[in-house]
Amino acid sequence: MKRKAKLGVAPLGWRTSAYIIMILFTVITVFPLLWLGYSSLKPNAEIVMHPLALPEAPSFNNYVRAWDMGRLGMALENSLIYTCVATIGTVFLALAAAFGLAKFQFKSVKFFTWAFTVGLMLTVHAVIIPLFLLEVKTHLVNTRIGVILPYIAFDLPMSVLIALSFVRGIPDAIIESAEIDGAGYWQIFLKLIVPLSVPVIATMAILSFLQNWNEFMFVFIFTTKAALKSLPVAITQFAGRQNTEYGLQYASLVIGILPMILFYIFFHKQLVKGFGEGALKE
Amino acid sequence: MINERAKHRSYLSFILPAFIIYAGIMVFPLVFSVGLSFTSWKGYGPIKFVGLDNYARLLTDPVFHIGFRNNILIVLISVFGQIPLGLLLAYMLHRRMVKGAEVFEMLIFLPITISSVIVAQLWNRVFAPVGILPTFIRQITGNPEYVMKIFENKDFAFVPIMFVLLWQHTSLYMIIFLANLQRIPNSVIEAAQLEGATEGLIFRRVIVPMLAPVIFINSILAISGSFKSFDLIYAMTGGGPAHYTEVMAVYMYNTTFVYQNYGYGSAIAIIIILFIVATIMLTKLVTKKLNAE
Repeated sequence: MKRKAKLGVAPLGWRTSAYIIMILFTVITVFPLLWLGYSSLKPNAEIVMHPLALPEAPSFNNYVRAWDMGRLGMALENSLIYTCVATIGTVFLALAAAFGLAKFQFKSVKFFTWAFTVGLMLTVHAVIIPLFLLEVKTHLVNTRIGVILPYIAFDLPMSVLIALSFVRGIPDAIIESAEIDGAGYWQIFLKLIVPLSVPVIATMAILSFLQNWNEFMFVFIFTTKAALKSLPVAITQFAGRQNTEYGLQYASLVIGILPMILFYIFFHKQLVKGFGEGALKE
Repeated sequence: MINERAKHRSYLSFILPAFIIYAGIMVFPLVFSVGLSFTSWKGYGPIKFVGLDNYARLLTDPVFHIGFRNNILIVLISVFGQIPLGLLLAYMLHRRMVKGAEVFEMLIFLPITISSVIVAQLWNRVFAPVGILPTFIRQITGNPEYVMKIFENKDFAFVPIMFVLLWQHTSLYMIIFLANLQRIPNSVIEAAQLEGATEGLIFRRVIVPMLAPVIFINSILAISGSFKSFDLIYAMTGGGPAHYTEVMAVYMYNTTFVYQNYGYGSAIAIIIILFIVATIMLTKLVTKKLNAE
């Protein structure tokens, strides 16, 4: 016991540097966020006079005005619709595809798996121009579905591959015995595979939720109506217009950050696991 | 036989919905993109093919050159900034060199959830005349006139952006390395310690070599990711002033969607993709060679 404890400890020099680096990193990470938070509670004059000081009389006035003027309630609603529909769609489609690829032995399995893997290399830029022209032609521009479909498409390759490695691990015997009982494949999928895949569903859902919520380019380019903007786009455009109204800028940015801090607090463990494992797969 | 056909039908019913959306939105437009890059189309009128003209023009376009240089700077800050720093932080957390390692880890990883465009604007506020940094510098230097002029400097305008990139992504590598460090059995470090190896030696001679494949793969991901940077830079500077902070993707956006030059914009998009694909292919080749040896 004593021997182990002694072995575990790093030398003083390392520990001191570790404290310095960790504290420095934490301050640089957290202080700008805190500053933004408390400054958003100050009236504009106070922000200009004493940029670093705590608010003298904290007030939510900036929030009330930013929320109304930037129509951020509507943007929040749009963000929720885009993100939730796209995430549910992605998870369902990816799990189904993964089941097809993992548990059926047809020749085309190889081709489809390869095709989804190639998707990891493709980026928004490669397709945004023709996709925009295509959406103009099919009148999908300025519709919610015109945003949700690209969200799903871009989430799919990663999600399919994550789901695939999980579904492969589900024993074939379970499926075979259900087949013998006369169950159809969709029945097997919905009644057996989906409940067994809850852990991987959670990972996929959290990663694609994060990606969809923070997405910028599709909404920015494919929608011109204010009524269709998502939160990041609406805040960018609103804060950009408030020349010297610092209070309004700060409040709108906090409105953009706060939901994600809550999301982070709730799903911290899963995020760490998702990102940590994501890289191990390669 | 009929049974087999029914089975094939169900198999396709699982795969095709996902595949059709994916191929329709990602693969089909890509082909179209390549085609457009050989035209001088401006968004209206007949489409005229100009062969490789757009690509030839890229070679002599000074704005594209600045964009490319800045993309390379992002590659450098990723590979030589984010990754080593992330590894060092991960090792310090893993070896429990600080008390409350979980708290540090949780706070440092936080920026991962914040949208890039919001991060960009947060830092614009920090660098603004009434922001944290100029105010702080005014207070310590006693110069009440101080404002940041670095964005107007041709050579250094990109430095603040590199700093923000470091702020935003280092923790991602920290988390990835931490997950991999946890897979190395404790006995490995203990054995090295028993032999009298110092901490620095353990880090350099034991940990870094053991994590070499992970470092390698993450470098590749970082390089290919560097070529697609858009959101943060677009929201922070839009590529300005005078294109000092231009990157390829922002230039592509402005060329296409602001100046309606669809042909030239598509050529830039194809070049970005080629850089990404080339990086990944090169990696695959190197990995295969190494595995074969």
